[in-house]
Amino acid sequence: MDSLGLPSAPAAGGIAGIDREQFELFLIHEGRLLDDREFEAWMELFTEDGLYWVPSTPGQPDPYNQASLFFDDRQLMKTRIERLRHPRIHIQTPPSRTNHMISNVIVEEADEKASTYLISSSMMMGEYRLDVQRFFMGRQFHRLVREGDSFRIALKRVNLINCDTAFEAMAVPI
Amino acid sequence: MFDGTPDELSKLIEPGRVHRRVYTDQDIFELEMERIYGRAWMFAGHVSQIPEPGDYVTTDIGRQPIIFIRHKDGTAQVLLNRCAHRGPKVCNEPCGNAKALTCLYHGWTYDTDGTLLDVSMPEGSAAHFDKKDFGLAKAPRIGEYRGFVFVSLAETGIGFDEFIGPMKANIDDLVDRAPDGEISLDAGIHRYYFRGNWKLQVENVLDSYHVPFSHASTVNKKGEQFSRREGDKEGAKVIEETKDKKEKTADAWKGRRSYVVGLGHGWTSNTELKEKERSSAAYDAYKDALAAKVGKERMEEILTPEFHNSLLYPNCSIMGLNMHVRVIRPVSADITEVTVYPVKLKGAPDEMNSANIRLLNVTHSATSFVQTDDLESFRRTQVGLQSLQSDWIDFSRGMGEEIPDEHYNATSESAMHEMAIRAQYQAWLQYMCEAA
Repeated sequence: MDSLGLPSAPAAGGIAGIDREQFELFLIHEGRLLDDREFEAWMELFTEDGLYWVPSTPGQPDPYNQASLFFDDRQLMKTRIERLRHPRIHIQTPPSRTNHMISNVIVEEADEKASTYLISSSMMMGEYRLDVQRFFMGRQFHRLVREGDSFRIALKRVNLINCDTAFEAMAVPI
Repeated sequence: MFDGTPDELSKLIEPGRVHRRVYTDQDIFELEMERIYGRAWMFAGHVSQIPEPGDYVTTDIGRQPIIFIRHKDGTAQVLLNRCAHRGPKVCNEPCGNAKALTCLYHGWTYDTDGTLLDVSMPEGSAAHFDKKDFGLAKAPRIGEYRGFVFVSLAETGIGFDEFIGPMKANIDDLVDRAPDGEISLDAGIHRYYFRGNWKLQVENVLDSYHVPFSHASTVNKKGEQFSRREGDKEGAKVIEETKDKKEKTADAWKGRRSYVVGLGHGWTSNTELKEKERSSAAYDAYKDALAAKVGKERMEEILTPEFHNSLLYPNCSIMGLNMHVRVIRPVSADITEVTVYPVKLKGAPDEMNSANIRLLNVTHSATSFVQTDDLESFRRTQVGLQSLQSDWIDFSRGMGEEIPDEHYNATSESAMHEMAIRAQYQAWLQYMCEAA
């Protein structure tokens, strides 16, 4: 388990008997907000104390004592997005075009009483900018809280398979 | 044909300008790897990365793979990561612990100081073969200051004391902030690369002129940058409005100075921030921890920042504002990789170290708010320099305005000028023309 409570080796196959489609649709929606550059709406998917974490080493146990590619709370997310909207953000002039693909969605944990769920999925994001196309791929974990007909994200952790490589500049969240 | 004679090299550098080939020409790059990265003192690692005997990290000095390892006698060693037999890289993991180092290819095994211990099937060795001649090569010269380990890959040349002496105060300024008087670089790393020449990154660390323009997207409507230190409510004032509502560089930012001390080394003066208002639970607890060790008066002295960014030419910079050590690794004339180590202050509350690590994620990582716009500048420079419109790159700002600084025994100029780059090219020429 990492310091934010995510299991390091989730049960194979996940929990059966819970409708997976609702989670899948939510994750597709989340990826689409990023692809459509609806960054503010993406941020609003997170709970007020929600966290977005992309570790920089495989199996990284903790975001507080080690460097991470992303480890944003709502405050940092807001600063990041304000910058993404700034007319003079050179690394997004021109902007990236991205596309998220989500699959292999599994319900890892479910507490129906508290309406909280841990969902894992495979993700791939293609990014194109200035004649260069690259791919980010990995397994992601979403700790979700049901709110009305939808969910909010209490924690999103993306384990990129190449998280410890040297990256060219990355301006948009994954 | 370019042979790299002093005569040819000195034609590439004129007062206040440098020939574009110095950034684009792969032949010149090869000479730099031999004559600068093969001669000058290079940051190899920090002792905190290898606390126990057998601990190692693998990295590169320029393009040469090295093993930074703690030998069983307790000494930090820098070995070239190349089997003395047929050449494979011996240690392949980024870090680990080993009792001995065994090459995958034919099983030759080396001690943690590089001594060749065993050759498989020794009965086949040639009559003249002597294990003593086949250890892993060691960096010919090694020096340490307050945990920072530097090596020179040349047997002779500028001594370590001459290299480190003028920059000791910069290292002290950072390390003294730790209540226990030691820092550690064991909080992971950020790695990024860009499609540009390595000198673009080196020049940039002491270039304060670019900030209001390159980093405009990090500045709010009041002209203040986002808060980059634990306890600050906002960052430096970078831009202000003129009476007729036009943008201009803030006076506080313009007032900063840069300093050079020979061998390409230098630094920029601190960023003006509201030091008296700096406060948070983590920062206040840290101040208490520091004062408990060194006394209140010394604590206040230590926490009055002097330096913004310091350059130990050619491969290392130390930033006092967002505490980190940055190492530059040229890959080719137009590709450069950079490694950034967050600094942890030993004896500081965990919350303080954690805050620094978290802020570094957004200032100097591949995804950061600050560094990414620099990387775009470097990339676009490399593209622009393909143009043959002019052979020259200008860095003449402030020429003739340099003044001696007695306090630091340095030469000083406005940080909005380009003295530091001129000084780097003096060192460049010195290393490139030094007799082998």
